[in-house]
Amino acid sequence: MEEKREILSFESLLIGYASGKNRKILLPPLNAIAYKGELIAMIGQNGIGKSTLLRTLTGLQDPLGGTIIINGNPISSYSRIDFALSIGYISTEPVRVSNMKVYDLVTLGRFPHTGWLGKLKGEDHDIIMDAIEKTGMQLFLKSYITELSDGERQRAMIARVLAQDTDLLVMDEPTAFLDIKSKYEIIHLLHDLSKKRGKTIIFSTHDLNIAVSESDKIWLILKDSFEEGAPEDLIIGGAFDQLFKDSLVRFNQADGSFTFRNEFKGNITISGEGISRLWTEKALNRAGYSVSSENAVMDIEVIKVPDGNKWILKNNQMIEEFSSVYDLVSWLSVNMI
Amino acid sequence: MKTDEIITNSRQKWQIRDKTLIFTGLLFLVIILFTLDIFFGSVSIKPSEVIHAIFNSSDKALETIIFKFRIPKALTALIVGIALSLSGLQMQTVFRNPMAGPYVLGISSGASLGVAFVILGFSSQISPGSIQGLGNWALAAASWLGAGAVMILIMFISVRVRDIMTVLILGIMLSSGISAIVSIMQYFTNETMLKAYVIWTMGSLGNLTYQQLQVLLISVCAGVILNVISVKMLNALLLGENYATSIGLNVRFARLIIFAGTSILAGSVTAFCGPIGFIGIAVPHIARIIFRTSDHKTLIPATIFIGGSVMLLSDIISQLPGSDSVLPVNSVTSLVGIPVVIWVILRNRKYSGAF
Repeated sequence: MEEKREILSFESLLIGYASGKNRKILLPPLNAIAYKGELIAMIGQNGIGKSTLLRTLTGLQDPLGGTIIINGNPISSYSRIDFALSIGYISTEPVRVSNMKVYDLVTLGRFPHTGWLGKLKGEDHDIIMDAIEKTGMQLFLKSYITELSDGERQRAMIARVLAQDTDLLVMDEPTAFLDIKSKYEIIHLLHDLSKKRGKTIIFSTHDLNIAVSESDKIWLILKDSFEEGAPEDLIIGGAFDQLFKDSLVRFNQADGSFTFRNEFKGNITISGEGISRLWTEKALNRAGYSVSSENAVMDIEVIKVPDGNKWILKNNQMIEEFSSVYDLVSWLSVNMI
Repeated sequence: MKTDEIITNSRQKWQIRDKTLIFTGLLFLVIILFTLDIFFGSVSIKPSEVIHAIFNSSDKALETIIFKFRIPKALTALIVGIALSLSGLQMQTVFRNPMAGPYVLGISSGASLGVAFVILGFSSQISPGSIQGLGNWALAAASWLGAGAVMILIMFISVRVRDIMTVLILGIMLSSGISAIVSIMQYFTNETMLKAYVIWTMGSLGNLTYQQLQVLLISVCAGVILNVISVKMLNALLLGENYATSIGLNVRFARLIIFAGTSILAGSVTAFCGPIGFIGIAVPHIARIIFRTSDHKTLIPATIFIGGSVMLLSDIISQLPGSDSVLPVNSVTSLVGIPVVIWVILRNRKYSGAF
């Protein structure tokens, strides 16, 4: 097996803002390494400093301490152009330039590769077309970027950063504002780029489910600590619960889902099989019941009938029959206070 | 994929041919308007007589009109149109503001302030007549400095205020403030200098001497060269400061070069022709409408051709062909430019922040 190649590393990195003598350091010193071909999701609460960290890594903001090494050299040793040849960046700032075609946008990615007047050679054109093809934007080549959907524009932005041809890509919330389908498409594209093109990609996100299922590594930023590891390692270690410590949301270690800590109304038992049982349980959780035989206040039986399912609720006083989960939950909320 | 490539390539060839066609058309338009501008003036001269006067110098009076007035005026119109439009294009890109232009953001006012300092402040040291010689360059340089100072001020404002309309309002405030300063200077100056200044403010395209025209031409050429070499930087700045930095642009250096070019272009015109409004803001939009591109490699030549044409046309209209009265050229450019500006404002409500 090939030796893993370090693309980016930082040590005792302090991020934050400095104005005059005032320094506002956002987080304790950070240490991490990103290897070639890794897709890394950065997760943390709003305002904790994800964007600041990404901006610091891309040189848009100076670190307040510590070192950042890219491809073996500290970032302070890079010239502007060499730095642009090593790291590409997509921010949350939407680019809406009217009359700009997708091709023109992607062409701007060649900026550090071209001469004084920005003249494109045949090779530049090939790289641009390759980036457009890789992101599935061939049909939009001549479209104006203001006329694209959010998902298409994000793909065009990724094509631009691909044309820049860097080993390392940094993206600030590439899936924000996208619908679910586009979110998955974008993350899948990033996954592909890291695996097939060997790109190292660091992106911040709030979509924990997507991050868990697609990324190789997660950087979890908490107020007083920084956790690094495969998503599964962080789940097993219980790190995600830290993320929701102060909120009503709870991360379910068993299946990677989220639940609200609702008001607890009692334990119930469910009998039945398969998908319908699973979703009935979810609905009852939402209504405030936990599945357990201990002191169960009622039993719900899910029965298959020819035209669907029916739900039978039994407790020591009564038996009720329902034809949908909705009816069951509505009845509970009215009758079982 | 192969067929796709062929389609793409042939489509690109088509577009290139289209573009060449439009540019050829624009070039002819400039030549035609330039010729017409020589034909029309406050003294009506038949076209045949104009041609006669150019090729055989028989009629001295006619020759004087053509060579001392008409041709310099047409040349001035061409240069002024190019200079103001290019400065508008650069400002719109640098400030990422479709409403930016030398007149509306107060750059012309800044240049006026520079001129006022020279005429009202120092012309007592250099006798009134000396404005002809070195005075022309002093006037131009003062304009550049005034324009540059306002550019930097507007840059500081637009870094802090993202909203386009707010920047615009602050630009208007700035212009008013500068006008107030100039008024105070006028109040405290003596009669001769005041007269010299008032004549300057009414300045039109027709009052330039050959020496002044020479200074204007050299400065505008320098401005155009600065503009052409910043074509790649301008394209990068379209994406905004962060993206421009991330693809390797030295934003500060780029701004310095572009500001210098813009100040020279807008400042020189203001120094010799007075403030001329709405050409700088409107022409770049006309260029974008015609070519539907954001690439400055196309927009710069397009703006040069269209700017020259629009200014020549405005000058022809201001001569009121067929009559012997002349309108101030500033009112004509406003009437030509304002509809374009209104159109841009209305269209832009859809996505504010875009241009």
